[in-house]
Amino acid sequence: MAKKTFKGRPLLPGKLKGKATVSKQPFNTSGSYFENMFAGVTDKAICTDSDNKELYKKDITNCILCTPQTIGSSFAGATIMGVKEMGVGPNAMLFSRHIDSISAAGLIMEDIWNETRIITVDLLGDEFLEAVKTGDPINILEDGTVEVG
Amino acid sequence: MNRRQFIKRSTMACAAVALLPGHLPAQAAEKAAKPASSGASGAGASKTSGKVPAWVKSMRESDMDGLGPDGKPDPNYRATGTGSSVGTKDPQKPHKMKLTKEEQGILDGKEGETKAKVMKTVVAFGNAFGATKLVKLGGAPHTSLYNAPQFMEPMIKVFEKCADEGLKSYAPFTVNPRPYDLYNVQNSPHDMAMVFEGYPLQPRLEYVLMRLGARDFNSRSCMCFLPEIGNAPKPGTMVAWAESSATNFGNSGLGLRTNRLACGMELMCALVGKAPYFGLMTDEGRMATWVIDVKTTKEPDWGVLGAAIGIKVTEDVPFIVGIDKYFGGEITGENMHKLKAMGASTAANGAVGLYHVENVTPDAKEKGRKLLAKGYKTYVVDDKEIKRIYDEFPNLWGKKDAKPTRLFLGCPHNTYHEVVTWGRMITEELKKRGQDKVALPIHMFVSIPVRNHVLDDHPVLVRDMKRAGMNFTNMCTLMFTGLKGFGEREFPVTNSNKTRKYSSTRYFPDDVLLEIAMTGEIPKGAEVA
Repeated sequence: MAKKTFKGRPLLPGKLKGKATVSKQPFNTSGSYFENMFAGVTDKAICTDSDNKELYKKDITNCILCTPQTIGSSFAGATIMGVKEMGVGPNAMLFSRHIDSISAAGLIMEDIWNETRIITVDLLGDEFLEAVKTGDPINILEDGTVEVG
Repeated sequence: MNRRQFIKRSTMACAAVALLPGHLPAQAAEKAAKPASSGASGAGASKTSGKVPAWVKSMRESDMDGLGPDGKPDPNYRATGTGSSVGTKDPQKPHKMKLTKEEQGILDGKEGETKAKVMKTVVAFGNAFGATKLVKLGGAPHTSLYNAPQFMEPMIKVFEKCADEGLKSYAPFTVNPRPYDLYNVQNSPHDMAMVFEGYPLQPRLEYVLMRLGARDFNSRSCMCFLPEIGNAPKPGTMVAWAESSATNFGNSGLGLRTNRLACGMELMCALVGKAPYFGLMTDEGRMATWVIDVKTTKEPDWGVLGAAIGIKVTEDVPFIVGIDKYFGGEITGENMHKLKAMGASTAANGAVGLYHVENVTPDAKEKGRKLLAKGYKTYVVDDKEIKRIYDEFPNLWGKKDAKPTRLFLGCPHNTYHEVVTWGRMITEELKKRGQDKVALPIHMFVSIPVRNHVLDDHPVLVRDMKRAGMNFTNMCTLMFTGLKGFGEREFPVTNSNKTRKYSSTRYFPDDVLLEIAMTGEIPKGAEVA
């Protein structure tokens, strides 16, 4: 596929190559990691949000998550920290819109207190989310550029 | 899929914790039990797949799913608590707020490495939202860091580090209600076992909150601003509050200035006594982009009105007209429950962090319609609209035609006025009908100071309420509805649209609930009066 380039705001910059995991609807963080939070699963993360038609039962272990924003409980910040400590949390979060305050809190606290960076880029634009599909190759650059394809 | 029919139950993942291992199949229960007792971080050492308890499916939903009525992502959806950002996409010039010399000094480590990290966290958060500066906080914080399933360990460790370094909140802070009540609610061996297994880190959390400056357990309540608890700073005070209903009333009914903060970030702000200045803390962020024109022919059902507003405006700021006549020009102990019900419902059904009521709330009294932003939209709520919203509330009971099994009053926690009013209504109605007891258990969710206030003023009424079968608890209503298997064995009813939104509890107007209290049955044709 032809490479498409998008420029976002690198809130927590970093370089990473991988495959996209896309949720065109806002990603419910707390709702997606139930097996990890409550059933003792630490070797992988399978999305447990049955309302997320795209990602339900999909493997989201160490994903590069592409979504407009996250939604759900204000405990989602703690969820991000919890699953990252388990080793199954996302490696990057790419937001087409402005990051929400709930995930921002968790991502920033994880970065500063646990010195674990989850690369975070927001304001990539609706075109980004329209263009990217789960499985697409993604290349994230430190200046907030995201290449798809 | 219709978003309004979309089942939204508890958004608080922690509510599920109370239900952990007890009712799982044996093997899954063992695996799930391991993390709770292992002391390992995260969910524990097991690497094999466990089973997610069936009840957690009710934990998935949020107050905002970002989907439109057609089931497709809503292009206008915006998540909670965001302010506009003045950030630039130029990585060479990321947004940086201006810091004072003192703040920079803290950031540079002059007051210790841990405090520097706290300041770094707060500043980074503010920069992400285009905050221009930090502001000094007044009043006292309120935190929603109140329950501790195993996965909360990384968060708890952060604050343990802060406490170990001697950091404390700038003022004694209030905390959300207890997640359980081993005295009045979960006092069977089975339920107690679930609580102990489900909240293994609770003592650690309580200890660290105490060390950071939390007020005592008696003050635990989501209604921290009631006079009996007293976390009610003056209008215009900058604070750092979490808990959506407290933030909603604080901003609106008290005229405070706070953003809707994620659990944990409010404590970070509290430890440096500062918060980033953006969003709802700013004059611009408090401008209303909606007029809600209430044209009902009688006093509206406040929970339903709140649902209508929340669904319509999402996270925008509404300016509500047409309801000031129900307040006599000021918010008092006798009428604040109306705003409590409405506001909590706007926050649960939408993501409203601030609303204005013409001639009633502090900002609106001071500035009137100058609070209206250019290009504001108007939403008319009349009797028909109230009925439409109410009729769309889904029946989420596992058994649709079941008889109600419990009646929940008070989410957020009851005020003094509400306890007395409900107490009188129910005990007098019982007397009228020649009944000794209510037909189903009635739980009054209320803080201990408020309950004590009622007991002090009306000891006979409290006696009669208890004899009639009404039970007082200071726990969180939603934690109760999150009990394992609750939705399968219980068919509760409530006067709280917040409880309705986040659980399978069915919402009814007060007169219908009174009838249910007497007969145990939902009257035929029950609808908004």
